[in-house]
Amino acid sequence: MPLDLDPATLGEEFDRAVYGPVTADELVAFARALGAPSCYTEPGPDLVAHPTFCVSYRGHKFFPDNLPPSLRSRMSFDAGKDVELGAPIRPGDTVTVVSTLHDVYEKTGRSGTMVFVVVRFTLTNQRGERVATVDNRLMYRGER
Amino acid sequence: MILDLHLHSDRSDDSRAPVEAYLKILQRKRAERPLDGIVLTEHRQFDPARDFRTLEDRYGLLILNAAEVETDYGHVLVYGVNDAILARFDFANVRLPAQELIREVARLGGIALPCHPGRPTVGLCAHYATKPPLEGVVAVEALNGGSRKGEDARTQELIARHGYRAFGGSDSHLVSFVGVCATEFDAEIRSMDDLVRALRGGRYRPMDFRERGGVATAGTIT
Repeated sequence: MPLDLDPATLGEEFDRAVYGPVTADELVAFARALGAPSCYTEPGPDLVAHPTFCVSYRGHKFFPDNLPPSLRSRMSFDAGKDVELGAPIRPGDTVTVVSTLHDVYEKTGRSGTMVFVVVRFTLTNQRGERVATVDNRLMYRGER
Repeated sequence: MILDLHLHSDRSDDSRAPVEAYLKILQRKRAERPLDGIVLTEHRQFDPARDFRTLEDRYGLLILNAAEVETDYGHVLVYGVNDAILARFDFANVRLPAQELIREVARLGGIALPCHPGRPTVGLCAHYATKPPLEGVVAVEALNGGSRKGEDARTQELIARHGYRAFGGSDSHLVSFVGVCATEFDAEIRSMDDLVRALRGGRYRPMDFRERGGVATAGTIT
């Protein structure tokens, strides 16, 4: 495990945030901003959120308190997201975002050593259905 | 027999290419890239349980499983990975000792070959500038589909200086890049054991299918 991270930290919940209820107006506004098709922009009983709406959610804090200090004090940049969709988000839903540290790994490339931190958001609705799993990948430059 | 010896599927953190999508591309582009198979070399990992027999039967292509690891002399492809090699080395470690890896993998039945040697930071050339040459290097990846300008030329100088054998691989992380560089073997290869034996034997050459916009003529280097 790089950076002397305690492996037990992986998968441990470090934040829980609850949002909602979701309104039809915000779903429609989001979809219109994307230029999404009418099935995401017409209010009515069949309205569901555009699939990418789930990435607008985040926890109250982005990193666990026990992330190695060498990373907490440094700049990182967004290295992409993996999104696995579940039940659609509908107007009236309450969405709970549970944050876990999913992975920390190193790699080397043309520009040197990099450290990747993957923070997972697991989104569920008020029925306990999984709405989405969002893996947020952050890249740090390695120690020089 | 022509194999792409270096490519990554969606098991690697920086690729989103499903294995089957690679096979579909090869089937569709057979005239331009006449490959007989691929060798998956996922970054810093090896899953011995991967089973490609269904896909092999469906597409009529050989699919073998290897790994790309990271060492103090840059990136190295490991073919013939077995339990003994996995017990000996932690593939997730990005600071593996290259000299030990090459010697031990050979002793344990596989072969470890440096890839993209001309690449800054993670190629052999950059490390040879400040450290002694490695012993026991059988061959290096002379053609890499991901090389930038000058990288493969640096590799040619390295090969000329040290007398290494040469092979090629696409280093594909994207579906459409599969097979743009590959290796032609004189021997028939049906298994990883065959491949390791052939790589040790030296009767192979890198092939470049990028020339002329990917049309059927293959370039070779010696």
